[in-house]
Amino acid sequence: MSPRVCKTCGCAEIDLDQARGNAVCTSCGSVLEDNIIVSEVQFVEGSGGVTSAVGQFVSADGPEKAPLLGSGFHTSIGKESRAQTLQNGKRQIHQLGSQLQLNQHCLDTAFNFFKMVVSKQLTRGRKMAHVIAACLYMVCRTEGTPHMLLDLSDLLQVNVYILGKTFLLLSRELYINAPAIDPCLYIPRFAHMLEFGDKTHQVSMTALRLLQRMKRDWMHTGRRPSGLCGAALLVAARMHDFRRTVKEVIGVVKVCQATLRKRLTEFEDTPTSHLTIDEFMRVDLEQECDPPSFIASQHKTKIQQLEHELTKKLNEVEGEISGYRDEIETELENCRPKLRGMYAAFTKHTDDKEREGKLPLTFDPPEGEDLEMQAAQQFTRDFLCQVLEEEEENPGSGQPGGQPGGRPSSQSLSSILGLGRPTQDPPEEPEDGSESGELDLEGIDDQEIEKYILNEREVETKTELWMKQNEDYLKEQKVKEDRITKEKEQGTYKVKCVKKSKKRAPIRASTAGEAIEKMLEQKRISTKINYEVLRDLNQGGSGPSSPVPTPPESSSSSGATGRPRAPRRKKPNRKANSLAATASIMGKRLRPLVSSIPKKKRNASQVSSSTPPGPATPPQLATPEREATPPPEAPPPGEAVEEEEAEPCVSVLQLMKGNEYGCDTEEEEEFF
Amino acid sequence: MDSGNEDALDIIITNVVATFRTRCHLNLRTIALEGVNVIYKPEVGKVLMKLRKPKITASIWSSGKIICTGATSEDESKVGARRLARTLQKLGFRVRFSDYKVVNVLAVCSMPFAIRLIDFTKKNRPIASYEPELHPAATYRIKQIKATVQVFSTGSITVTGPNVQNVATAVEQVYPLLFECQKPLRK
Repeated sequence: MSPRVCKTCGCAEIDLDQARGNAVCTSCGSVLEDNIIVSEVQFVEGSGGVTSAVGQFVSADGPEKAPLLGSGFHTSIGKESRAQTLQNGKRQIHQLGSQLQLNQHCLDTAFNFFKMVVSKQLTRGRKMAHVIAACLYMVCRTEGTPHMLLDLSDLLQVNVYILGKTFLLLSRELYINAPAIDPCLYIPRFAHMLEFGDKTHQVSMTALRLLQRMKRDWMHTGRRPSGLCGAALLVAARMHDFRRTVKEVIGVVKVCQATLRKRLTEFEDTPTSHLTIDEFMRVDLEQECDPPSFIASQHKTKIQQLEHELTKKLNEVEGEISGYRDEIETELENCRPKLRGMYAAFTKHTDDKEREGKLPLTFDPPEGEDLEMQAAQQFTRDFLCQVLEEEEENPGSGQPGGQPGGRPSSQSLSSILGLGRPTQDPPEEPEDGSESGELDLEGIDDQEIEKYILNEREVETKTELWMKQNEDYLKEQKVKEDRITKEKEQGTYKVKCVKKSKKRAPIRASTAGEAIEKMLEQKRISTKINYEVLRDLNQGGSGPSSPVPTPPESSSSSGATGRPRAPRRKKPNRKANSLAATASIMGKRLRPLVSSIPKKKRNASQVSSSTPPGPATPPQLATPEREATPPPEAPPPGEAVEEEEAEPCVSVLQLMKGNEYGCDTEEEEEFF
Repeated sequence: MDSGNEDALDIIITNVVATFRTRCHLNLRTIALEGVNVIYKPEVGKVLMKLRKPKITASIWSSGKIICTGATSEDESKVGARRLARTLQKLGFRVRFSDYKVVNVLAVCSMPFAIRLIDFTKKNRPIASYEPELHPAATYRIKQIKATVQVFSTGSITVTGPNVQNVATAVEQVYPLLFECQKPLRK
């Protein structure tokens, strides 16, 4: 509150100097107020010339009590879990988002989504990484950036369907309606990656037109947009005389060859494919096509219809033939006295055939044995099928000689089926018996169930086989049991805890450097980290080393038994981060750090170390030389392993390297 | 119009999943060694037994809980379950057939027209969701009857629900929405 009137001279002009905290009268010069409480930010220079603000961050929804610790970098203690989670999430969002080259606005929106998710408690039971990825993808979809879920899964090395599941669930819970993916969004990105040089824009335009044509021809519903983009770009490239092979395109678009070929053939089937290049650019065909899968199923139904009609016709023809046959027979009877000589032999012949036809078919069913009846039925069915097939092969053969074989078969078929059905019906008549737990045996054929159980000899054989097959498993089980019995004798038997989280012994160390070393040993992260560098880092008070000494300091001070797992897990991440930042271990220098870090940490360090190669600041160039010395320690097998690991990393980098999406590159924001 | 077309649409039930309990502990090894069509999975801790007559596959746990899948109707599923329990009884376990419950029913149905999925999704947000990157069909979840309908662009739909009645109701509910977004045939 600044005084209005000077007390000595009565002048109302009082100069309030914020910097010095004085209120001075301008006329008489008397100091009216001294040491005014000012609210300004002060800066302090840390090691390496990095300036940082003095003070600590207090969140609006934090605890009511003020943080007791005076220094500025104890940001993770003294806050409640919710604030920690949010902070953690924010950091991860920025990390991941910077790799995707999302601008600040997108990252903020993603963080807002994350806050909503946390307030609805949807993070429970889900990996933080999945939730973060889902939030980022939601932002990508709502903003319409050309990022695919595949990119996110590449970065995190997580199955894309798992991420998709999380994304769908979260977007449903938050009622966020993401607009449908338009394949046209991806064209500029893929076109740039395919390196068309000056003609990139033209090729993109052509590809867009092709895509729109594909949309109208119903090729795009239910398909991955990247596959369509690939096909459109391939055709567009060829149209502009660029020889892009299928392999190059699929490397960029991330679909397989088969998919691309299929899309191309589908496009070939549309009438548009028959136009020349000029015609295509000028004219737009009005006619729309049906979706390809629809056409395929229609094709099937057509074939079925044809078959149906064919059998119908066969039956008709049969009917006609039988009609003729009846007529002939009546005629024969009428003419029999005359033509007995000739036709007698003929009729006898047909009669014999009929009898022969009927006998084998009706012979078996009267036999009562279950098995044999079934076998016989099967046999007769096969026989009948054969006969019917033969008939179909000779459609419309109007020979009465050929047909008599067919008719008795159809007769006896029905008789067989008629016989066969009664035995099958009782087992299929269920009656809902009592629910009291008593097993209602109605309709259950005991005999049949007996078949499901092996007899003794079979049991022995099977036991042998099974034992042989599962030897390894049985050995393991035996070893385990022995161990348990031993421990029981010793009295040290503990029930194996189901919980995965192990409470580690607290690290007791005298200096920060020692603490870091011990922690690294415990976590078994890496023998490749250059401890000297770490120690040097620690000697600086604040700045980039601030995240590093905080955990060991706090661990040494508090004993760390009841500590939540989250901050610990992030330690190597931060460490790798700081190392990455200070050493600019990006791109080419992935291998050394990635070497023997266990999978999780490897992902974390991959994530951190594949931050986009922003402008390398001069002080960071000095340290790569120092970091170059530990890399040679990496053992060859380790390197061989990560070469495969590094490849997907490199491809992601290649994807992300272009700055022309209109998104800004993110500098390291962690160092405040 | 709708009910008239309903009669023409056949809803084919392809899978019925049911669970029941035997109220007694089962020794999986015995079942594995003495049963005819069994697969023992010791890592997971269950035995798969397949029956021929109602063609079903049952997962049997040592606690006595059994899940029965593959039947094509609710009745068939019950028969199969009881047959399975009888088999276990014959193997020597004191089996009691209790808590039989049909858990899931899967049916397919085919519309005589193709469907515009993007239109369908836009009109029915947020009940419907469509992610072409993940799955070619649009998913429509009906909360009241707890049924999920997956709509494909060719016009075929698959419906899953807790029982057959719900499935039929779901088809009835979703039919008019699909009819709106149909794609007129060209060829």
